[in-house]
Amino acid sequence: MKARVRENRVAPAAGGATGGEAIKPRLRDRLDGVRRAYLQVIGIPDYESYLAHMAEKHPTEKVLSRQEFCARAIDRKYGKNGPRCC
Amino acid sequence: MNKLASFVTWLLIAIVGAFSFAALALGRGETVNAVWLVTAALSVYFIAYRFYSKYIAERVLGLDDSRPTPAVRHNDGMDYVPTNKWVLYGHHFAAIAGAGPLVGPVLAAQMGFLPGTLWILAGVVVAGAVQDFIVLFASIRRDGKSLGEMIKIELGPVPGSLALVGVLAIMIIILAVLSLVVVKALTASPWGLFTIAATIPIALLMGVYMRVIRPGRVGEASAIGVVLLLASLYFGRAVAADPSWGPLFTLTGTQLAWALILYGAIAASLPVWLMLAPRDYLSTFLKIGTVVALAIGIYVVAPPLAMPATTRFIDGTGPVFSGALFPFLFITIACGAVSGFHSLISSGTTPKMIERESHARFIGFGGMLAESFVAIMALTAACVLDPGIYFAMNAPAAAIGTTAANAAQVISNWGFTITPDMIEQTAKDIGETTILSRAGGAPTLAVGMAQILAQALGGKAMEAFWYHFAILFEALFILTAVDAGTRVGRFMIQDMLGHVYKPLGDTEFLPANVAGTVLCVGLWGYFLYQGVVDPLGGINTLWQLFGVGNQMLAGIALLLCTSVLVKMKRERYVWVTLVPTAWLLVTTLTAGIQKIFHPDPRIGFLSLANRFSDAAAQGKLLAPAKTIEEMQRVAFNNYLDAVVCGVFVVLVVAMCIYAVKICLQALKQAQPTAHEIPPLMPEGAMA
Repeated sequence: MKARVRENRVAPAAGGATGGEAIKPRLRDRLDGVRRAYLQVIGIPDYESYLAHMAEKHPTEKVLSRQEFCARAIDRKYGKNGPRCC
Repeated sequence: MNKLASFVTWLLIAIVGAFSFAALALGRGETVNAVWLVTAALSVYFIAYRFYSKYIAERVLGLDDSRPTPAVRHNDGMDYVPTNKWVLYGHHFAAIAGAGPLVGPVLAAQMGFLPGTLWILAGVVVAGAVQDFIVLFASIRRDGKSLGEMIKIELGPVPGSLALVGVLAIMIIILAVLSLVVVKALTASPWGLFTIAATIPIALLMGVYMRVIRPGRVGEASAIGVVLLLASLYFGRAVAADPSWGPLFTLTGTQLAWALILYGAIAASLPVWLMLAPRDYLSTFLKIGTVVALAIGIYVVAPPLAMPATTRFIDGTGPVFSGALFPFLFITIACGAVSGFHSLISSGTTPKMIERESHARFIGFGGMLAESFVAIMALTAACVLDPGIYFAMNAPAAAIGTTAANAAQVISNWGFTITPDMIEQTAKDIGETTILSRAGGAPTLAVGMAQILAQALGGKAMEAFWYHFAILFEALFILTAVDAGTRVGRFMIQDMLGHVYKPLGDTEFLPANVAGTVLCVGLWGYFLYQGVVDPLGGINTLWQLFGVGNQMLAGIALLLCTSVLVKMKRERYVWVTLVPTAWLLVTTLTAGIQKIFHPDPRIGFLSLANRFSDAAAQGKLLAPAKTIEEMQRVAFNNYLDAVVCGVFVVLVVAMCIYAVKICLQALKQAQPTAHEIPPLMPEGAMA
């Protein structure tokens, strides 16, 4: 399950890590993966994936800051299109 | 997986399941352990998922990963994002699981543990999971369209508008009944009320933290929120015991109802980031954590089921809700077996985030199985309680009186032996002054959970803490639902008013917003208040009204699914949706008509209304009314309930006629006529 969560993320800067140093970034990656999965479960899309998407598909357009992105996600989720369950 | 290993695994699951069911079925006259119940349920889920959902995915629907999902077609990194299937499963589950699966099974426990268990398991496999799965599939194939839009496209504009009216009516009833559950749980409970009230400043603090202090740091804010929440739970005991603070948090039912109405109006008018979003995060966190903790608790403690398999109340004379097993069991347990509301979630954000069509099986079908498991655990927690305690908590004051001595005597006469001391001791154990007539499911579940969790962790001394933790967990997501539901209700009302007078439909226009909010809160507030002063405890009326509405929405969603299958020229498999549709229509129409016309005033709205209005006309007073005006109000409220119920019945019959007409037309066509997005990605479709 954890491996799948990581697979969804933008590739971390793993290239530079070698030998003993490799363990720390890997643990941090994993924690980061948990944090990002948690955010998506509660309805905030992944900001890093958004940045990657914009860089790939719309490199010339202005990107939202993390704050703007988060604010917009919250407004969308609880706006018009958010039916709730019992 | 290796074929032999797979065969052996599934054979083992089947054997474990069969063995668990045997333990439940053969253990008559002796107590059965709750572990058998939970294990039997899990085996059913695994087998249904492995075989039935695979059949639906491959044969009936023909899920095709070469067809791009809306998330792939419109990928914009924000609203449409292909999402990891485990993450989306969590997201979908958090959206569908609310208080519903916790309340219904607890109420249905009055008939014993067996009827509820069988309906939850059969219902989820045959109806609930199928509905969630196929609606999700239909929405994916229609570019993430909502249920209302899909009904409009596939069945026509009139059924589309009818469905929207039905959804709004169900919304209002849901908000009223959920608020009533909170009122019943917090009446004269200063500890509980303090912790719930504390969630307001905690959420505000989190909101400001996420927006101003550390923008976008949702994880940090959630962690701070959870710590503060636990602190408020701890200090709540001292506040409740304090001579000056305690009375401040000790409110009556009507005071709480007004407080909730005021809260709903204010909360729904605040910006979403300030209170709704942070509180929703806390509640999601608690919801998933508590469900997991309870499952582990049941396996660690392995409590015996104190409730018998069936009680004498299957004949319809039960104190918790009146009406015979058929049809009322099937509307009392709505969420957990099949819930119409899920069709709104399955056609909401989930189809816009799904990565591949084949994931719909895990997320749609599998997500509903998880919700069903929550319902099974709620039922278990209620049945672990001593039946005497269960009835003391759930029977209305009109039946058992207001003192422990009186209640013990009445309940013992029903055949569930209990002493006044046991009732008082239970109240003391959970840190409350009384447990009598706390209907609505939440407090009963909380006592059951407290007994299980305290045995697993902390012992007797922790029981009061666990009880209030469970109340907090339930009230937290009910209040979130009240807040979010009021907003959605307001949008729907404004949308409708906009057709009458255009400016009222403008969601950016402040007076129109205020009017929409006041109207929405006024509607559910009216039903809530009516429920609080209801002589039969309110839950008896409102929960069944909600059950009828919710199951009818499921019927409508399944009629759509059936029409979609026929229009896809897959009529060979149409029994998959036709069987649950037929069952839902039969049970809900029977229940709806009985609720309106049944001659027994405990069941039929009209006969109760007539009784009160006739007595009022002769100048006689019937308890608990104290004046002729109150008598007339009871009569009016029951006429109103009959009208609401009648609207549901008419809606579903109309929808049925439209669906039959459309299906007959589609059967004559040689080619599929479903309005799906074509399989190949058209040029320029990428966002």
